[in-house]
Amino acid sequence: MTDAVAAPGDTPGSLYREHRSWLEGWLRRRLGNAWDAADLTQDTFVRVLAAHQQRTLPTLAEPRAYLLTIGRRLLINHHKRRSLEQAYLDALACLPEAEVPSPEQRWLVLETLHALDELLDGLPLAVRRAFLWSQLEGLDYARIAERLAVSERTVKRYMARAYEHCLLVEL
Amino acid sequence: MSAHAAEPARRIAREAAQWLVLRDAGGLGPEQAAALQHWRALSEAHEAAWQRAEALRQRFAGLPAPLALASLDRPDLGRRRALKQVLALATLAPAAWLAYRQAPVASWRADLRTATGERRDVDLPGGGRLHLNTASAVNLGSGVIELVAGEIAVETPGPLRVERAEGRLLTDAARFCVRQLEVGCLVSVEAGTVRLHPATGQVVALSAGQRAGLLPTGTTPVTRFDPEQPDWRQGVLIVENRPLGTVLRELDRYRPGLLRWDAALEALPVTGTFRLDDTDRVLALLAATLPLEVHYRTRYWVSLVPRTHVG
Repeated sequence: MTDAVAAPGDTPGSLYREHRSWLEGWLRRRLGNAWDAADLTQDTFVRVLAAHQQRTLPTLAEPRAYLLTIGRRLLINHHKRRSLEQAYLDALACLPEAEVPSPEQRWLVLETLHALDELLDGLPLAVRRAFLWSQLEGLDYARIAERLAVSERTVKRYMARAYEHCLLVEL
Repeated sequence: MSAHAAEPARRIAREAAQWLVLRDAGGLGPEQAAALQHWRALSEAHEAAWQRAEALRQRFAGLPAPLALASLDRPDLGRRRALKQVLALATLAPAAWLAYRQAPVASWRADLRTATGERRDVDLPGGGRLHLNTASAVNLGSGVIELVAGEIAVETPGPLRVERAEGRLLTDAARFCVRQLEVGCLVSVEAGTVRLHPATGQVVALSAGQRAGLLPTGTTPVTRFDPEQPDWRQGVLIVENRPLGTVLRELDRYRPGLLRWDAALEALPVTGTFRLDDTDRVLALLAATLPLEVHYRTRYWVSLVPRTHVG
């Protein structure tokens, strides 16, 4: 590891020493528990280190603002993963016995769902819904328009936007 | 990601999206189908974009639709601000979709809950503190906690009641844990006194260092434990000479996913202090100290098998 790029005050080591416990406290207040806060703090500094090694770590006038930017993003991802997992487990619990997939199948499906959730991230809610209903329920555009209370033309625009987004992210 | 995509890639994606919409919206006539063939043949990048779209479609088609919908179209998606919108949409949703939302899963409606692997601490309104272990749910009232699922630890400086289907616990001031078992729950008192009132049967008072099970039919005999030993509240699992199977069943509570092990490993004795916030590391540690190997099928599907000696 080299410390050549950033100013001496900005090395991952000094960032870690000076701001770790502050960042962990910030995350703990938002998460309500110390374990996840410690995890996400660790992840934050792993990214800082990676940026440093790829020489993309900026010279930091406001190191805490920089750490918060990363920390906040990780926090949002964390919540998203948790909420997807919970929604999935709830849905599983409600499934009639005969339709419950095998335990192996269950977790493979969850992995796919995480990937798709990430893929669809950033799309407006209505666009996301239109796309999901079309792909998963096989609804035609007229039915989607009805459900969303918009015109079919708008649904076409939504779908085009979703397809384009997915194709670009998949690149 | 998409913001940085090169201009030609962006154009091809947009054109592919237009074709996909055209196809969805009513099928392609022979002329349009030919035009699409022509478009795909324009370059490798065109054909690749089309293949990606097909792969995406197959990915969705392979999913059980009700599960996928309930997860990908979950209620908190609008980042909460759009709650009103979600409620409005729910009335238009099909019956099958609604069924998932309205099914009476007790822990789903609880006041406070943790996901698998998550732990939480909250202040109690009357002073004191409540800790929720992994996959737990409680309802909170004034001076009363209903344990719906999982495990809690409570520190209360004043009177408090814990409600369970099989009975209730009463205390004037205490520090104690309640853990739901397959049948009933296990109560462990660390400080103060807690009285167990089973739905039927005799009242039993537990003092510091004592534990007993609360069952619908009464209480189990009182046993002793070490109230000073660190546990999940400190994020650790301490075991001394316990069968591996017992340890793995305990770890499994903290891991979303499937943890399987070969029956030959069940009785291997384990001693150690393990950190619950990184169960992957615990498994690696077990593999380093015991004659076993850890196989990851996926992040959510892990099997432990006896180590095979090579050479």
